[in-house]
Amino acid sequence: MTPFIKIEGLQHSYDGRRILDVDRLEIREGEMLAVVGPNGSGKSTLLRIINLLEKPTNGEITFWDGSRLSEMDRGEKKKLALQMAMIFQEPLLFKRSVRANIGYGLKVRGTDRDEVEKRVEVMLERLDLAELADRDAMTLSGGEAQKVTLGRAMVLEPRLLLMDEPLASLDTPTRKVLRKDIARLVREMGVTAVYVSHDYQEVLEIADRLALIFDGRVLQEGRPSEVFSHPNSEVVAQFLGAENLLDGEVLDCREGLARVLVRGVELQAPCELPPGSAAKVLIHAEDITIVTDSARRSSARNSLPARITNVSVMGALDKIELDCGFRLVAYVTLASARELGLEAGMEVTAVIKAASIHIM
Amino acid sequence: MGDIWNGLVQALKLIVHLDPYVMKITLFTLFVCGIATCIGMLLGIPIGSALAIYRFRGRKLLVTLVNAGMGLPPVVVGLFVYLFLKRRGPLGFLSWLYTPKAIIFAEIVLAMPLIAGITMAALQNQNPKIRMQAKSLGAGEARSILTLLRETRLSLVAAVIAGFGGIISEVGAAMMVGGNLTLNNQPYTRTLTTATVLEVSRGDSQMAIALGIILLTITVLLVWVLTLIQQGTLLSQPARVARTLLRGRGREAKA
Repeated sequence: MTPFIKIEGLQHSYDGRRILDVDRLEIREGEMLAVVGPNGSGKSTLLRIINLLEKPTNGEITFWDGSRLSEMDRGEKKKLALQMAMIFQEPLLFKRSVRANIGYGLKVRGTDRDEVEKRVEVMLERLDLAELADRDAMTLSGGEAQKVTLGRAMVLEPRLLLMDEPLASLDTPTRKVLRKDIARLVREMGVTAVYVSHDYQEVLEIADRLALIFDGRVLQEGRPSEVFSHPNSEVVAQFLGAENLLDGEVLDCREGLARVLVRGVELQAPCELPPGSAAKVLIHAEDITIVTDSARRSSARNSLPARITNVSVMGALDKIELDCGFRLVAYVTLASARELGLEAGMEVTAVIKAASIHIM
Repeated sequence: MGDIWNGLVQALKLIVHLDPYVMKITLFTLFVCGIATCIGMLLGIPIGSALAIYRFRGRKLLVTLVNAGMGLPPVVVGLFVYLFLKRRGPLGFLSWLYTPKAIIFAEIVLAMPLIAGITMAALQNQNPKIRMQAKSLGAGEARSILTLLRETRLSLVAAVIAGFGGIISEVGAAMMVGGNLTLNNQPYTRTLTTATVLEVSRGDSQMAIALGIILLTITVLLVWVLTLIQQGTLLSQPARVARTLLRGRGREAKA
């Protein structure tokens, strides 16, 4: 399948500072691609370049109709830009009624008045905004305002919707609701979307694919679950909030299963690295099981004697800090922590399946 | 005290009886200041917008000039316009000196920087992303600027108030390039301010008070109307009522 948008060798500098350096990034038709990275990593610049609001220093973008950025003249750019819509972090509504805001894009595109009215009406219904239609947009709450922004963009029936941190300025409950609205509308209308965020948890639920961007480079791309369980670098793992990221050394490797030494403790895990090489070891805190009865060892290959150094409550989970030659953090549900009577100072066994240990 | 009281009474009589001399001067003043303000807007709003939005060579110098222009002493403007328009001056061939055109010219020079300066400040106060948003919704360059201007309409009205208020109340420039003349016993380049100065120096305080009251009334009335526009009650209220009526009728028709 040819990609909807193909970005190749894209570089952008501002005031002599390299902001973007994207070798290759594809957006597939009909998907929601989440571009995630810390603040200042160049995500917004990438969006503005795709939206043709900014011209990159170098590089090529091929759009869905086969047109190439480097070969487009002004008129073609304008025509293409009209098929995209962008939503920013701030609602940026105009000082007009909700209805007029939603109709703005159609109006400036010279759409027939009756047609504008009809489409705005449909969008108001779709987003459940009919009650607010005649309100001054300046009097809306943050969530309502961002919803109007969504309507204002989607009423244009764009081929590509670009969203730059659309939920960042909202509170958590509003965020949840609006995230659903966005996902629903984008799916229903079959629009390809790029969603930029600094918070990967915000997009896990709705993104089809994730591209992680750091210092202007795309470090990893893939399905959210894939990226999350198999980060390909330390930077990515840390950004995704991995609790247990350890330094180790590969001792040997047989049939894809390696013995890795971490601070004198031996772990077994699937690995492709050659023996003797230094490795990063990632263990997700949810994948560690804590056993108090050492006789009841499971089939897991890694059973580490450990001492609990601290127990703290984290929402529905207990965060158990362990010392097993190195510091290890495990998440256990409150119920099982109580059942096991976990407390600081206890000697336990930490059990980790080989498949849950990720070596990179 | 008696003088002032007498003056007031006589002045009101002049106004109520629509004294032709007073009326002529009043209309002339409104005409001159109205045209000067309009041209000042046509020049000042685009200049202020360009200075606020674009970055170009020489912009800093222009901004300084506009800001300095906002505080220009009318007498100095009058002097310069006089030097330009006098028979041997660079624009002497126009023969505008001591005609209404000269006054309009001088008043434009006074009003334009005020309007440009306030427009610039207002636009710079706006979130520049508004324009980016407008563009990303499909607005062209001009349309995006118009949208931004519409967002700042409160300040734009303030700019016009400042421009009009500034020139209707100044006397130095109008006196110097207009000359406060009468032609065939009819006021020719006489404005409310220059006429007031003359009447006072003549000792005719009744006429001076009458002219003063008119000047004050015009200023207050205009500022009031513009304020209503600015606060959105004059234009939007009827529009809102009309919209509601139309929509109601539409619904009935559908039903």
